[in-house]
Amino acid sequence: MTQHRLRLREGRCAGEELAEFVRSLARQAGLDPQQVYRLRLAADEITTNIVLHGYGDAGGVVEIEGEAGPDGVRLRIEDSAPPFDPHTHDPGPRLGAADPTEGPEGGFGLYLALRGLDYFAYDYVGGRNLNTLVVRRTSSGGTDGQDGRAGDR
Amino acid sequence: MSFRAKSTTDDGVVTIRLIGDLDSRSAPVLNELIAEIDAQPVRRLVLLVDELAYLSSAGLRCLVFAHQKMGRGVDIVLVGVRPEVAETIRLTGFDRSVIMQDPVET
Repeated sequence: MTQHRLRLREGRCAGEELAEFVRSLARQAGLDPQQVYRLRLAADEITTNIVLHGYGDAGGVVEIEGEAGPDGVRLRIEDSAPPFDPHTHDPGPRLGAADPTEGPEGGFGLYLALRGLDYFAYDYVGGRNLNTLVVRRTSSGGTDGQDGRAGDR
Repeated sequence: MSFRAKSTTDDGVVTIRLIGDLDSRSAPVLNELIAEIDAQPVRRLVLLVDELAYLSSAGLRCLVFAHQKMGRGVDIVLVGVRPEVAETIRLTGFDRSVIMQDPVET
């Protein structure tokens, strides 16, 4: 099991820095390209949501710890923004709309994030949001739940 | 991967080639380009995306922005969508709002 850490500076959305962090872990774990893409997308959407909506103008640090092992990759994303459980976010009604470009903007990022993971868990401990993201090496990605979403076990 | 967007206009058809990663950092670049294009009459917006390696929800919101700026009558056509990007578009239902085409063989 290999461990890595990434600290996103205050007020900055994740970009290439996070992409390379995920790619490096994925290489070690032997994920296929589609799994790498989904894990990057999930990590990007969750960290972007924290930076833009969790911290907002106040700013704050996002810490990401990653582990690569024979079973796959596990990321733990931590922040000290107000409590927010991504599970509580449901863009379902908009996804069924005839035209998703109608109506209020936004709302797709967390759906995409959870949809692409094999496992997701949220905890709020000691004033910190803890998001755990897993993509398993042997999985085809995002198919554990009956509706295709990552479950919280 | 960094992001680049290059646009050309020909008789009301605006073509933008997107290269790299379209995410929350780069989306403002494309939105700015779309806002500039909106100043001219547009019949059709063609996005060449075979070199678009990554699309996050921030990039999807650029498509929403384009629709809002240009109106219902303007088709938005995505040419050469990579499989991972296509999955993001389909999962969120945006395939009902845009036309996805394979690249034309030359």
